[in-house]
Amino acid sequence: MMSAALDWSIFGPAILAGLIVLSTHVPLGREVLRRGIIFIDLAVAQIAGLGVIATAAMGWDVHGVAAQLAAFVAASLGALLLYGCEKWYKQSLEAVIGVVFVLAATGGILLLANNPRGGEELKDLLVGQILWVDAHTLLPAVFISAFVLIAWSVGGRWVRGLGFYLLFALSVTVSVQLVGVFLVFASLILPALASRHARRGLTVAYAVGGLGYASGLLVSAVFDLPTGAVIVWCLAAWAVIIEFMLPSKSLSEV
Amino acid sequence: MRIILATLALFAWLGSGPAFAKVSVFACEPEWAALATELGGDRVEAVAAVTGLQDVHFIQARPSLIARVRNADLVVCTGADLEIAWLPLLLRQANNPRVQPGQPGFLAAADYVALLEIPVSVDRAAGDIHPYGNPHIQTDPRNLLPVAEEMSGRFRNIDPDGAAEYEKLLASFRDRWQQALEGWQQRAGRLAGMQIIVHHNSWVYMNAWLGLELLGSLEPKPGVPPSAGHLAALLDEISTHEPRAIVRSAYQSARPSEWLSGRSGIPALVLPHTVGSVEGADDLFAVYRIMLDRLESVAK
Repeated sequence: MMSAALDWSIFGPAILAGLIVLSTHVPLGREVLRRGIIFIDLAVAQIAGLGVIATAAMGWDVHGVAAQLAAFVAASLGALLLYGCEKWYKQSLEAVIGVVFVLAATGGILLLANNPRGGEELKDLLVGQILWVDAHTLLPAVFISAFVLIAWSVGGRWVRGLGFYLLFALSVTVSVQLVGVFLVFASLILPALASRHARRGLTVAYAVGGLGYASGLLVSAVFDLPTGAVIVWCLAAWAVIIEFMLPSKSLSEV
Repeated sequence: MRIILATLALFAWLGSGPAFAKVSVFACEPEWAALATELGGDRVEAVAAVTGLQDVHFIQARPSLIARVRNADLVVCTGADLEIAWLPLLLRQANNPRVQPGQPGFLAAADYVALLEIPVSVDRAAGDIHPYGNPHIQTDPRNLLPVAEEMSGRFRNIDPDGAAEYEKLLASFRDRWQQALEGWQQRAGRLAGMQIIVHHNSWVYMNAWLGLELLGSLEPKPGVPPSAGHLAALLDEISTHEPRAIVRSAYQSARPSEWLSGRSGIPALVLPHTVGSVEGADDLFAVYRIMLDRLESVAK
């Protein structure tokens, strides 16, 4: 099966999805690491999911545009909440993020308890698998990522405050649906972690991300393993390799 | 540069492979892969998307799944929305026009049997109800015959050179299955009227076949985890009745049924729901033999 599995028409969309996710998540991830709010993506993704579940609980159609709007609105509200917490509860921000995460997750369970139709499907609605990506889901992601990147580079002070949280909510809502929660977390944190002491940090981070996705897809093809999980492990491996390859001077500064 | 060349060489090597000579069957569930092997013999190569120990409602996307559907001559699934969470995505990614729904290369088993529990109206409040009816058709062995007839017809259509052999294999399977059914039917007499509790509502066809009576379900509504109130009501129900077993599939968590078993003293029972789901259930015949063995072990 190995020969048939390594087919560009199977892996092409997955590689594109990976590159689109990396384009925004590498810079955003470095900011996340700098601010020390590592689990914010899990919280935001969970809130976006809660938005969709709430939509369903009100009896609206959960597919298509309505779900996307609900997800974005919920994620943005969550982002506003977290921004407020950063302003006023900075010491406890990480704890608040954790609390928001469990509240959003269990809130979904409570909402679904009374409205269980397609409960399992709803829980997975916002969690993509990278191999299932196709062209017409990639196109909106390209535009949104381009918007985020442009806003990030020209936004000035705004994107270091409230803007960061809103752009982050937008990016994560899109990327979780493309590649799933685990890959989003890994794409944010691992390149940022490997490059945190590097001189040309952004370049190093993009390299870790690109190598991780490319080698992950290759390993997944050759050994026929679940693609998303393999990429996470390859990202981690490249993060370690790059970390050790960097000049020791940077390590001694830790 | 050398790295690029080496990579290209690797890809070229990986990309070359022998063409498939056999009829390639992609089955969503192990029971249909086993049936395809019974009916296709050496002319057919069948693989299943899940094993008997995995939950068919959800699967992880692996490259070979897409590749196999792409090369498949026939895709056999239960249908009736059982695989709704992943099969449409898989078929779309594989982009194989021969096996799209509506084509001769796509066989939905549920289209060829009478479904139970078709809802009068699909009410969201009623739980994770399948609008086309309960899709767990393979727990009644009688449902396999009409599917076998249809599948054999598809094989003859796809691979006309083997028509005679497919006819022979179908006749052989039909005879052996009918004979086995008669034997099972005799054993079923002892079980008729026996009350059971189930984990998930996936045994209605078995109940209809054996005349078992469903007393209750650990899930208050299909797909919804048990609540405290529901479990209390279930314990109450048990105290006034005489269920003989708490039935679950191998892929379902043991905890709810073991909990109820510990409280009520009624044995928790794992029944084979497909090939490979329990020790010894290596072919279709063994599945129903073990199902009956285990039910008899708790019967009066």
